[in-house]
This record gives sequence, C-alpha cells and structure tokens, in this order.
Amino acid sequence: MGSPKAALDWHGSTLLRRVTGLAQRTVDGPVVVVRALGQQLPELHPSVEIVDDARQGRGPLQGLAAGLAAVGARAEVVYVSSTDVPLLHPAFIGRVLTGFGQDVDVVLPEVRGFRQPLSAGYRVSLLPSVEALVADEKLKPAFLFEQCRVLRLDDAAMLQDRAVAEGDPELMSVSNLNERSDYEQALALPAPEIAVRRFGALAPTGTHRLVTVRGWTLGDVAAAVDLPLDEHVVAALNGDQITRDPELPLAAGDELAFMAADAGG
Amino acid sequence: MAEPPGGYFGRALVVDLADGRSSVKHLEERVLRSFIGGAGLGAWLMHECCPAGVDPLAPESPLIFVFSPLVGTPLTTSAKFAVVAKSPLTGRLTDALASSHFAISGKLTGHDAIVVHGCCPAPSVLMIDGESVSTIPADDLWGLSAAETETRLRERMGPAWRVAAIGPAGERGVRYATISHDGRHAGRGGLGAVLGSKLCKAVMVKASRKVASADPSAVLGAARELRQRSFGQATAKYRELGTMANLLAFNAISTLPTRNFSAATFEDAQALSAEQVAELRQVARNSCASCSIGCEHLYRSREGKQVRMEYENVFALGPLCGVGDPDFVIAASGRCDELGLDTISTGGTIAWAMECAEQGLIDARWLRFGDGNALLRAIEEIGAREGLGDLLAEGSRFASRMVGQGSEAFAAHVKGLELPGYEPRTLQAMALGLAVNARGADHNRSGAYEADLSGEHDRLRGGEAHVRAAIETEDRAAIMDSLILCKFLRGVFADPLAEWAQLLNKVTGWDADADELATTAQRIVMTKRLFNLREGWTREEDWLPRRFLSESLQMDSGREASLPPERLESMIDGYYQGRGLKRNGLPTPELLDELDLVTLGVDGGQSPVTKGD
Repeated sequence: MGSPKAALDWHGSTLLRRVTGLAQRTVDGPVVVVRALGQQLPELHPSVEIVDDARQGRGPLQGLAAGLAAVGARAEVVYVSSTDVPLLHPAFIGRVLTGFGQDVDVVLPEVRGFRQPLSAGYRVSLLPSVEALVADEKLKPAFLFEQCRVLRLDDAAMLQDRAVAEGDPELMSVSNLNERSDYEQALALPAPEIAVRRFGALAPTGTHRLVTVRGWTLGDVAAAVDLPLDEHVVAALNGDQITRDPELPLAAGDELAFMAADAGG
Repeated sequence: MAEPPGGYFGRALVVDLADGRSSVKHLEERVLRSFIGGAGLGAWLMHECCPAGVDPLAPESPLIFVFSPLVGTPLTTSAKFAVVAKSPLTGRLTDALASSHFAISGKLTGHDAIVVHGCCPAPSVLMIDGESVSTIPADDLWGLSAAETETRLRERMGPAWRVAAIGPAGERGVRYATISHDGRHAGRGGLGAVLGSKLCKAVMVKASRKVASADPSAVLGAARELRQRSFGQATAKYRELGTMANLLAFNAISTLPTRNFSAATFEDAQALSAEQVAELRQVARNSCASCSIGCEHLYRSREGKQVRMEYENVFALGPLCGVGDPDFVIAASGRCDELGLDTISTGGTIAWAMECAEQGLIDARWLRFGDGNALLRAIEEIGAREGLGDLLAEGSRFASRMVGQGSEAFAAHVKGLELPGYEPRTLQAMALGLAVNARGADHNRSGAYEADLSGEHDRLRGGEAHVRAAIETEDRAAIMDSLILCKFLRGVFADPLAEWAQLLNKVTGWDADADELATTAQRIVMTKRLFNLREGWTREEDWLPRRFLSESLQMDSGREASLPPERLESMIDGYYQGRGLKRNGLPTPELLDELDLVTLGVDGGQSPVTKGD
C-alpha cells in the first residue's frame, strides 16, 4: 500500500477511525485496537482502547490473543476486524454476533467461498487455545478452527438477515484494501444514502420532513443539511444513540434525527 | 436590625386565615445567603413553619409563597415565584414555580415570602397590600375557574392587584389541584388543594414598596447582556414551537411515554406534533412578565377557546392516554386549566385507570385508551369528584392501593407524584433523577435528561457517569429554582454557577462564587430531603414502579431498553454516596455540619439523624 493502512484518509477521517467507530456503534462492550509495537496510530475516539501486540511477526493469531486478553471478562464474545474494511456494515457485525449459540466458539463468514477470519466472531474463552497455538508456532487461524466449534455463514446465511440484505447486499463488509488501486477504487464510491429528519426549530419552515442525503459521517450529513453540530444540536442515530461526534461513521440504511439539545419540557 | 442585602426585605409575612391576623418573621441575612429564595428559602421556611407530621390539608399546614432577590429586577425570566407546602398527594415537600406579575407584586408588598396557615371561616380571598392584610368573601367566586376569578377580582378591586387563585378542583380537594396566576400554574403536588382546604379561593397582592439592588447599574448592564443572549440558538426551540417540539423528537428516539408507559412511541405523534398542529391551530405566542424568550404558544380549540399548549400537557393527555386527536387533547388541556388540575397527574392517573378498565380491574367500560370522549369525561369527573373521578382525584398511588389486583405495578408515580413525559428506560440518568428527587417523579427538580441527551453517555446503560450527571443537574436546578431564573434560559450560560453567582452578587452586594453556589445547591437539596425524612421518608420511596424494572422496550435499532432493579439500586447507591449520604439515605452528622444545616435550624432535632438512628 505504501503507507500504513490505519492512517489512510477516508473522506476526512481515517480507515481505523471509521472501522473502530462502526464497531463502537454496534457492540455493547469495549473496542480494542491491537497495534504492532511502535506502530503509530491516527487519532481515535477516546473510548477506544489500544493494546500492543507484544511479539511482532506472529500473524493474526497473536493479535487475536492480545485482543482477547484485553477484553477479558468484559465480554463473552468479540467481533474481530482488520483495519482496511471501510465498507464494513454494522448489520454485518450484528449478524455475526447473533450467530453465537451456546455450542459455538467461532462464527466464521465465508463470503464468495472465502473464509473471513478477520471479519469473524470469537469466544473470549478461546484465549488459552489461541495462546497455546501461538506458543506452538501454529500461527494460522485454520489451526484454531480445527479444534473448536465453528459456525460457518455463507453468503445465503448472511443475507438471510434482513438488515444485512438491505444494508450490505453485496457483502462489501469484507472487501479489504490490499493494493493502492483497491483503496482508490473504494474511495471513489459514492457515500451511503442517509435518511435525515429534523425536528422543532431545526426543521425548515417549522415542519419536519424526511430528506435523503449522502454522507460517510455525521459531520458530512450535518453539513449537507446546513446544521452546525454545536452545543445546541444533537443527532439520534437510528433512533438510539445520541451523539454530536462529527466523525461518527455512517452506513447505508442509517437514519439520523437532528433535534435541539435542550429537551426541557 | 441590620439592613437586609440588596434585593431582599429580610422578612416573611405570616398570615393566620382563621382570624386574619398577621405577623412578620425576620429573615436573617445568613439564612437568605444560605438558601437564596424560591424553592431553597421555601424549604427552609417549611422546616420553620410546618409542624411535623401535620396533615397537608389541615389548617396548621402552611402554604408559602416565596420570592427571590432577582424578582423585580430587569433580569430576563426573573418574574417567578415558588409555592411551597407539604403535598397532599405525596405527603412530602412540594415546591412549584409559576410566573409573571404576581411574583413582582407579591414581593413588593414588602416581603420575601408570604406564609399562609389556618382556615378561613368561609370561602374568602386573602388580600395583602403592604402590611395591610384582610380577607373578603368569595361566595360569588367559589366554583369559578382561576382565570375567571382573577378577572373578576381585578375588575372589582383594580388592575394594580395581582391574583393567584384556585379552580374548582382545588375547592374540592383534588390532590393534584393547582394554583394559577395569569394562566400559569404552580402545578405539581396539589398546592391548589392545600389552599382550597383553607377555604381560600385566591391570594391577591398589591405592590406598595420598592427594593433596590446593591448595584443597580451593574444589574441593568447584566440584564441587557443576558437579554441579548436569550435571543440566541439556546432558546430557539422555545420561541419557535415551544416545548411541544419535544413530541416528535422524543417519539423518534423511543422516549415518548405511550399508553401508560407500556410503549415509548406513539403512532399518532405526527398528528399531535407542534410542527403539524401549529400550522392549523396556533393563534399566538405569549410570554411572562420580564421574559424575553416567549415560550408560550396558544392554540385554538374546536370551541374557539385559546389554550396554552406545552409538551407535558400534550404527552399526558395525548400519547399517555392513547389519544391522537389534537381536538381532544387541546380540549382536555383547556379543561384542566379551567378546573385547575395538574395535567401530568391528571393524564397519568387517567392512563392508569384506562389500563385498569381494559384489564377489567375496575368497572368502567366507557374508559379506554384512545377514546377522547372518555378522556374528557374522566377529567370532568375528577374535577367534580363524582363517580370514578372521586377515586381518581386521590391520585394513582392511592387509587391503585384501593383497586389492588396488581394495578400498583403500573401506577406510574414516584412518592405519589405521577411521572412526566420522559421514559425512564430510555433515559436512565433521568430514571435515577425521577427516583431520588424529593418532590417525587419530576423533570424540573431533576434535569438529568440533559445528560441522557447530551451524547456523552449511553442513555440505555445507566452507571456511574449517569449518577454524576444526575447530581450535577439536580444541583443546578436547585440554584435556578432558588434564584429564580427560568430553566429555559440555562443553555445561554457557559459556566452556570459562576455566572449565576455574579448576577446574584450584583443584586445583593455579596461576593459569592461558583463554589459557594455549589455548596448552597447541596444544602438546598439536603434541606428538602431532611424535611421528607422528618415526615417519614424511607429509602424504599426512592424507587420506580415495577413496570419500569420488569418490562423492557424494543428499540428500532434492535437494542432493548431495560432497567434491571439491580442497576437502579446501584445508581441510587451511587447517588447516596455522591451526596454524602449513608446507604439508608440518611445524611451523616458530618454532612450536616459541612452544610451548616444544624446551625441553620434545619435538622431541628426531629430527624432520625440527630436521634442517633
């Protein structure tokens, strides 16, 4: 790629900021970034945790071990992602995580016939197994899959989930950026369509109306509808998360509602 | 006697309605500085004037009008007064704020507070003109709305008089009856019933004195600057559509209480929204005296009457009762105004009754969610204390105890005060604020929803951050309610406590700062808590009804909004800890010392704290 992927620009943000932001808005627990020793990371949301991968060159299982150890008792299952998946959709993450039954240790998407260990779910209790494999120099995820209970989700299984089918019908969530051309191609894609409503004094002519604009982030959309994200305005994402973070990443199918921050009644 | 500080008279008028006698209670500067005015001074006066364990509707139970040093200054939104009493609905301290000229004239009778106790021998109106206190018969006024009473009295006695009156609901002792002035209600907690129990239809006041600020030119300068700021974005919502703008926004984020809190979105929200109704029905905007915001939005009812509509009216008489027709909601709101009923408690109690009727727990087949005619009939019966209304007039807590059969689980009140339009499961800092507040379930004494809607916390996962926010917003509310400044102004202050201290200093000549006001806030909150303790409060009262702790709400996002009892318990524990309280909610002797409460006479030897419990 020629430069660290984490810091690659993504429409005014960075790849890593985007991917961690998408994870944050989808999961309940901590979001952990595992970095190589000495690796410089771009600015991230203050709540993102950063841990160092103690030993370099040990492959994804070492990184997985570091991440599982950092999460610890705070979650039972995790979603693991690489940095270079800017088209990751929250619904994809959600679908993977809902695959965890009591008898499942790994939820492994297989998109277009390819296993996606860096877009998969893992049970935190796998940590000892992962560490043992690393100690044994068995560094490929396939070794882990041999010894635990894996739920494989092919395209059809992924698309059975309505949110995935609507938000990510092409399963672009796993499209990563290996070459510069991949990055430039992805960067040229149009931003997702976001449904926007404004309420109260923020709505033109005193009536609220639904409009559709394109934007990669909350900041993009706020600018598109000419609303400053200052202390007087907040946005609700999909009727749930309240925010005024301009770098909040958005995905296809998202709805934003802008309202006065003062909810006095 | 030392000259009182600027903005104060240093005295409270005490009136005995039984014989019309009055006396003056001197208010030391130390007390004024420790409690400021409004709700704070009112809480202190309740410790002084309210006998322990008194029945709220007994003659001995005082009703207190409290002003503040800012009243009568040119500071915007300062024309407010507090009415404080022991609530007949909750049995705990209640303080309600109302606005406009009564505040100014009441203060300029020469008193920082007016304490009313006793009972008139016959229906009467209390008149206060400076030191002159008298009563006049009110037989011809009894049965009239507060607005009509006010009009007639001013026609009779002259426009210099200002009137605070009760409607028929207060006369009949409906436990959530209001006192109103110029169409604005001191709404919550049944203060109208307290005044009605004294056979006092109205209190009239006439200004006869002046009071100067310590630095009038500085106050004037501050007033100009504040007025300018009040025209900005921070208050735009209130100017444009008023608080009704909350309705669609809350609906969009699953926070609009619907059908007795069984849901948090309402299918007919659009029809009731300010955005839609304003186009069809809005007649005018209005403002209180000394207010530059102008949050009042008047709507025309089907009968052609002008009705003041706010979010709380609309939520309580609309979605909470399942009613989606704006004609009915406006009519219901107007009728509550005429009868003198708190719309939140009215809607909350009726919604509870609707659910009981639908479940067959009460015999009222005419009463169903969504039926606007049923809503209007219920309001009439409450106001008249007839039929089912006689039970409902007691409030949902009492009514659910009478009906039983599990109906207490969905009576949405805290300490007997019905919940306002903020869904606790999707606003969990607010859930804590509702549970622990001295007045009961109240969105004004606790502004914790500010934290939930700030974007800084996950509003569905209450925790430590929510506890801190609940304490901070409660403290700020305590100061605003004591200064008194309208909460709709709060967004203009970048550093509230420091800026409020400066305003206060300009009026009084004090040298208060943010730290002092922070301590004052804690003192005020604790004074209210100590009053309640004295009156029998226990930790069990700081809680939420079972519905909120056992039923979850499904969000469109896929998340579930639930408030497990252990989470609420943990937050309450955190609140007590943050407030310096013991786990049972009692203040430590160290806290009482730190806040000077014993030397200020608040503890009074009545609370379990000094008894060594």
